[in-house]
Formats: sequence, structure tokens, C-alpha cells
Amino acid sequence: MLLLYVLIAEWLFFYFAGTTTNRRGIVVGFGTLDRQFDILRHSCEIGLLALALTPVIITAGIDLSVASLLGLCAILFGKFWHDAGMPIPLAAALALGCGALGGALNAALITTLRLPPLIVTLGTYSLFRGLAEAITRGSATYTNFPESFLFLGQERWLGLPTQAWLFFAVAAGVWVLVHRMTFGRSFRAIGFAPDGARYAGLPVNRRVALAYILAGLIAALAAIIYTARLGQAKADAGMGYELFAITAVVLGGTSIFGGTGSVHGTLLGVAAIAVLKNGLASLPVVMRMNAAEEMAGLLTGALLLLALTAGVLPRLWAQRRPPPAAPAIASSTPPSPA
Amino acid sequence: MSRHFRELSVVGALAVVLIAMALFAPAFFQPQPLLSLATREAPTLVVACGMAVVIICRQIDISVGSMFSVVSVCAGLLAARGWPLLLVLPVAAALGAALGALNGLLVAGLRLPSIVVTLATMVALRQGLNLVRQGEFVNMPDAVQWFGLPQATGQWLLVGSALALLVGLGLALRHLAAGRFVYAVGTEAEAARLAGIRPQRVTFAVFVFIGALTGLAAMMNIVQSPQVQPLSGMGLELKVIAAVVVGGVAISGGRGNLWGAFAGLLLLACVAPALTHLRIEAYWEKAIQGAIILLAVVADGVRQRKQN
Amino acid sequence: MKSLLRPLLAATLALALASGAFAAAASSKLIVAFLPKSKGNAYFISCKAGAEKAAKELGVELLFDGPTDSNAAKQNEIVENWITLGVDVIAVAAENREGISTALRKAQKQGIKVVTYDADAMPDARSFFVNQATPEGIGQALMDEAARLLNGEGEFSMIVATLTAANQREWQKHIEARLKEKYPKMKLVAVRPCDDLKDKAQSEATAMMSANPNLKLIMAICSPGVPGAAEAVKQAGKTGQVKVIGLGLPNENKRYVHEGVTDTVILWNTGDLGYLTIYAGVALAKGELKPGAKSFKAGSLGTFAIQGDNILLGKPFAFNKGNIDQFNF
Repeated sequence: MLLLYVLIAEWLFFYFAGTTTNRRGIVVGFGTLDRQFDILRHSCEIGLLALALTPVIITAGIDLSVASLLGLCAILFGKFWHDAGMPIPLAAALALGCGALGGALNAALITTLRLPPLIVTLGTYSLFRGLAEAITRGSATYTNFPESFLFLGQERWLGLPTQAWLFFAVAAGVWVLVHRMTFGRSFRAIGFAPDGARYAGLPVNRRVALAYILAGLIAALAAIIYTARLGQAKADAGMGYELFAITAVVLGGTSIFGGTGSVHGTLLGVAAIAVLKNGLASLPVVMRMNAAEEMAGLLTGALLLLALTAGVLPRLWAQRRPPPAAPAIASSTPPSPA
Repeated sequence: MSRHFRELSVVGALAVVLIAMALFAPAFFQPQPLLSLATREAPTLVVACGMAVVIICRQIDISVGSMFSVVSVCAGLLAARGWPLLLVLPVAAALGAALGALNGLLVAGLRLPSIVVTLATMVALRQGLNLVRQGEFVNMPDAVQWFGLPQATGQWLLVGSALALLVGLGLALRHLAAGRFVYAVGTEAEAARLAGIRPQRVTFAVFVFIGALTGLAAMMNIVQSPQVQPLSGMGLELKVIAAVVVGGVAISGGRGNLWGAFAGLLLLACVAPALTHLRIEAYWEKAIQGAIILLAVVADGVRQRKQN
Repeated sequence: MKSLLRPLLAATLALALASGAFAAAASSKLIVAFLPKSKGNAYFISCKAGAEKAAKELGVELLFDGPTDSNAAKQNEIVENWITLGVDVIAVAAENREGISTALRKAQKQGIKVVTYDADAMPDARSFFVNQATPEGIGQALMDEAARLLNGEGEFSMIVATLTAANQREWQKHIEARLKEKYPKMKLVAVRPCDDLKDKAQSEATAMMSANPNLKLIMAICSPGVPGAAEAVKQAGKTGQVKVIGLGLPNENKRYVHEGVTDTVILWNTGDLGYLTIYAGVALAKGELKPGAKSFKAGSLGTFAIQGDNILLGKPFAFNKGNIDQFNF
């Protein structure tokens, strides 16, 4: 809940500090509706990756390869459409399939061979990005997508950026999966105690595999949205996004050790980072320092550490203090008037 | 044999690569270029030693690349101001240790997960450095390069000290009590605690340790050329983690040694020059590195399965 | 928790109102936003120095922001941010031609004047392109210089920034085209990326030299690559035997040029590029520069020719032992 307050405070701060009237008398900056929509538009891909990572992290796993898979799927999508001459929907469907396959590769290595996810996905992190570079030989960029496809990434539909609808749909889907279905409970059980879950009769391997395949699928969707937003598919698509996505998930209260976490927390985490990043960029003071991105990175790191610390301090505090069992102590401190 | 199977298999893979090079690209084995390549990898080896210890302790540190950059730039600036290198060296190590201590405090003191803590410090340090330096090169006086020694001497000195450090640490890890503590904590922290070891202290110590080694490595890097680029060290964390894991150090802690990590580093370091020598196009480099890492962990997995 | 919330919000609001007042007070000048491909790159830092000088002379406010790595997606985000901020002029070095153009068209729709420099966007997305040298011109200049140093025969290799950077691919293409067309006796034996890291460029150059014993020249077409390759050649003891040329900044290469390791560094005057860009943008916003103009006077630099909608900075410049000390950027 703390995060929600931080988000509100953050937003209000930027609303007042980052909104100005320019010389032409137009209200500009953070507080404008246009800006808010831009923030939403720019958050969709990282938001999707964060959604993809939430179930994975709840099962005490991690997937460092999502952003690389985004790059690979973007390239494959462009290749299917441009080189193989497929219609956009078919190319998109195939790209989604490839994303799921990429996720399945992670899943297979992690579940059948019981390998640590961190290291498996570190390998696929290089592998997927490397394949994307090898396929395009670094150079080929796919552009000139039809207007109807770019609509998905650059225009508005029913008042919101088009891709936001997809993002919300996926968010709702993942939320239902994690919070309203038995899957979600089994994710938590697995993250909390994998052996216990196994003894309790849960199909642990299948559940874990599901989380990674879903992550691959969502990464592929993010790839398509990314391509539509920029109008280009290139091997460096989404480079470095995994860090922001993981940060958003952890900020959102999902334990990196697994077992607990929530999708709405992740959404708040994504929003907190996006508002911070874009809000800072609209502060005149920061703009004059020409350092919006660095400041945002610095503060995101600090925010992450703060959130983590705030999460564990009460527990540590409780451990440090002697157990309040002795009656002598209780009587020596008079109850303070409420 | 079976105890060191993992390390030996990496050495075997390395031997295969080297034999292939000997057959198809004997030019690879000219002493001077090889020495240059080894010198370039010497700082990486030092960081990899630290990373191996951290991973054996069942932690991870992904902020090493950023720490490396920060220390490089700070040490470079001091050297450019005319500080004697003998003074800059301990300052660099101390600065690295201080940064490592920050990680260590958060991980050991507050019991936060190391991957997230070091993720945060990695981003914060990198962006902080960008904020201050805006990417500008640091130019140093000529006397800094190779500590003012002749080039070949300087190169041998760097390679030699990196290897000496490797051997010293490898033996210490195996034979000194402190080294065994790291294995104990990495295998089972609770059991270690019951045996009288303080796991949190050991954890704190390994982070300070890798910080200090990273500081040293940064120092070994800046004496190699008259300029420091603030980006140097970017991506270092992945390189050393990959080397350590390929070398058979288990990410789940408690298993592995520095010799394996050394072989893993050599194997990965050979990829890029091998591609150049075999005239394979560079586009495949990342994919090949990924495949090597996966192959190594799959081999681990298959072997463990057989044992169970 | 509730008790914590109220003071937190109050403090935030107070802070926000204070800085908001500060913000409103300072926006009476024309605002020019200057977007590099990547902010940390020394090349763009030196462009910025010229831009700052021009901004001071013209009395406008200069914003300089860009991705810390060459990243097309971040460029779009920054431009869109500037649009909602309501800047008056946006000057862009485009990482991705098509990608940035959607954002720039949006800016133009809002009445913001757009100029491009260094790397162009789509022609309909900007008014003028301040053209420092065409990719073709750069490719030819580099290839001709390499051929001149090698007397038109021998093996050479290239170091590029990354395998995906658009401008690098473009230059490489023109270098290879020139090679095929004019220098049949020269052979390009290797192309390796250095990720914009000097240290990696050095390792790559070392491997190149040992893999190709007949290598006569290394051409680095990204600025960290030139000192990296030079250091490798120097350490290999092959100074003079393997020549180094490339696109780079005088300051980063001076010592190698003087030592005779690096023969030629090719570049236009980047400070002038930034200066000219700002002058053109401001003139455009003030209505002094209109489409169809044939020439343009930029402050102390004098008059520049305009070809179509390209303002021409002039030919790329070759820095060598004789002249490199006259430049400081």
C-alpha cells in the first residue's frame, strides 16, 4: 500500500511542478492529458514484460531473457511479414508462437533438468539477442509497415492509446490467472516451498513451465507493440528493458524469493517508474541539467532499495527486540493516552 | 576424476578449441598478440575470482560492471591530477571495497536478496557516473601507462599479478578457514551458523572482497592505456558470471572453485578472437556465447540427474 | 499509515508549488531542444559545445537531452516529452529515420520548428537538414584515404560501433561500394563490432592483426574505436606497419597521431555543426529562414550554401600530424 501513496504523491508533485504555461499561452508539461497518454503508451512494453515476469517471480524463478526474446520476436515478425510476404495477422500469430517456443525452451531447461532459472535465462538472454543479430546480420531493419498496423502503436482508439487496450487486457488476464484461479495459488505454493507443493500433489513442473511459456508469449506481444510504436523491427529492440521490468515487479511487492506477490502491485510498480521517469523529464530544473534519464535511473535504483528496506525493517526490528513476554516491562511503561 | 569432472570437461572444451585453432589458424599462437590478449583479460580474471567467491557463498553481484567504471574514472582522475600510482592503487581498492560494503550492508545487514540489491546499485552507480561525467574520456599522463615501465614488462606484470592472485585465492579458498567458511555458508547457512560461523559476517565480507578486487581490476585496466572511457566495464558482470558458471561454480552455492572459473573465462575469452581467426562473421558471437553457457548448465543438469 | 500520508502529501504539494513558480518565471526565452543520438558520446558533446555558444549569442535557452546509449525508442520518448513541454525548436540527430519521423511530424503539427543534423529524418518531418557530409562523402573520404596510405593495394579491416547502428551500416555500405568500384587490389578482411567500447576495440584490433599477418590498415568508423585500435597497434609494436585511420575526435587521438600510430582522423568540425544547427533552428522559428532560401548566414561562421533543403556544412576534414593541434574538441 505504501507504493500507492508514493505513486499518488509522486504524481501530484509532478502535476504541480511539471506543468507550466508556455509563452504561447498553452498549458504544457506533465499535467496535460496528452502527456499522460504518452506515458501510458511508453509504458506498455515494459509493463507487459513486468506482467510476464510476475508469475515467474512468484514461483521463485526469474527470467532475464524476456527483453532479448522481445528483440528476437520483433525481428521474426518483421521477417515473416517482409521477407516471407505473410499478411500481418499471420506474421503476428507466428511471432507469438515463436515467443511461446522461446519461453518453452527456458521452461524445458528449468523444469526437466532442474536448472537454476537465473543461469538458464542468462544463457538464453545472450542466445536470443544473438540469434536476432545473426538473423538480420545486424543490419536488416524492417520498416514501411502499413498504416493499419501502425495504428496499433501510434494512434488512439476509444480515447486511449491503442496498445493500452491490449496491455489492460493482458493485465486483466494475468490478474485473473494469479488471483482468481487455482493456478495462482499453485504458483505461490511452488514459490514458497517447491518440495512441499510437489508432495501436496501439485504438478509443479507443468505449472512452472506454464509461467515461462506465458512469459515468452507476452514478450512476443510486447515485441509486436514495440514494432508498431516505432514503425521498425530491429535486432536491438527492447535492449535493457528486463531491468526496468524486474524493478517494477519487485517495487510492486513481489518477493524475489517467491511465494508472495500480486499483479496489481506490479502495475503500481510500472506506474511508479513511468511517472518518475517522465515526470522528472518534465521538470524545468531537471531539464536544465540535461539529465532526466540519469536522474530517473538513479532514483529508480534508490526507490527500489528504499522499497526493499521498508519491506524488511519491521521484521528485523521485531527480531532485534526482546520478546514482550515479561510482565515487568509492560507495567513499567504506562499506556499512553490514545 | 569424477570429483573434478566438471572442471576437467571445461578444460577439455578449451583444449578442443585450442587444437582447432592450432590446425586451422596457427597464427593465433604468436606470443606477442597472445600476451596482449591475456593482458586485456587480466582485470576480468581478477573480477571473476571475486565473483566465484560470491557465487560460492550463494550470492550474486551484478553491480561489478558499474563499480568497475566508477573506480576506473575516479582512479583515472586522481592519476591525471598527478597522484603517484602507488597511492592511487590502495585508494582504488578502498573505493571498490567501500562500494562493495554498501552492497554487503544491504544484503547481509538487512537480509535483502543480493540480485535485487546489486541490480539497484548497478543502475544507480552507472547513471550517477553518467550524470557526473556525461561520457567524457579521462586523459592521463604518459607515465601512468604500464606504471611507467616498458610495455612488455608492464604486460607481464599485470598478467603475472592476476595469475598470482588467482593461485593465492584458489589455495586460500581451499585451505584457509575463511575459505571453508564461504563454502559452508553457501552450502547451508543455518548449518554453518550452528557450527559457529556467522553467516551474515561472511556474506558481508564476500561483498567487500569482490568490491576490493573490482577496484584492483579497474586499476589494472587504467594502466593499460593513456585514456579512461567511462563506459569501460559495461557488461562486465555478465561476462564474469558466465565465465564462473561455465567453469562449474554452482549458482545454488557451495560448489565449484577458482580453477574452473579460470578455465571458463579462458574458454569464453577465446570465442571472439577465434571467430576473427576462423573468419566467421561477428554476427554469431552473442549466440555462440549464449549457447556455451546453456551447454554448460545443461551438462550440469544432466549430470546431477544421473547422480540422483 | 494514514498519519504518515497527510504530512507527506502536504510536503509534496509545497515543494511542487515552489518549484512550479520557479518554472513559470523562467520560460520567457525561446527554447531550443537539441537531441543527440547518444548523450555520452564525445562526438555529440563537442556538437553541444558549439550549440551552447550559439544559444548564448542568440539569447535562447538550450535543452540538451538524449538517450545514454543510441536508442531509437528513447529518442521518440524524449521528442514527445518536448512536444508536451512546448519547446519552440527541436533539432534532432536521428537514430532511426522512419521511427523518429512520426514524433517529429507531430511536433510540426503543434507549430514546433524541426531541423535535423548529423543524421536526417524523413524530408516531410523537418524543415531543413544541416548536412555535415553525406554518408557517401564519408565513405568515400575514408576509403580514398585508406587507398592513398596503402598505394591502392593490400588488406585492411574495419571496427564498427555495433552491428545494429544505422549510421554505421550506411557508412560501411558506401565504403564497400567505393572499394569495389575503385580499388580492386584492396581487400576488406574483417569487420568487428566494439560496442562503442575503447577497450573492446583494442582487443578486436589485436586479434585482427594476429589473424591477418598481411593486414596493412585498420579503419575504425566509431569514435572510441580509433584510439582503441591505435593502442593495439602500438602495443603490438606495429607502428607504421599497420596504419590506423578512422572517424574520431582530435582530442582523443592527438597523442597517437603525434606518435605516428594513427595517420589520419577524419571528421567535420563538430562544434560548427552544433553552432550552425542552432542558428538555423532559431532563424526558422523567427521566420528569418524560409524554405527555398539559397544561402544562410550563421553568426560568426559566415554564410553557408543551401542545396534544396540541406544546409551544407562543408566537406569532411582530415586531421593529421600537421594540423591536429589547432583543434580542441
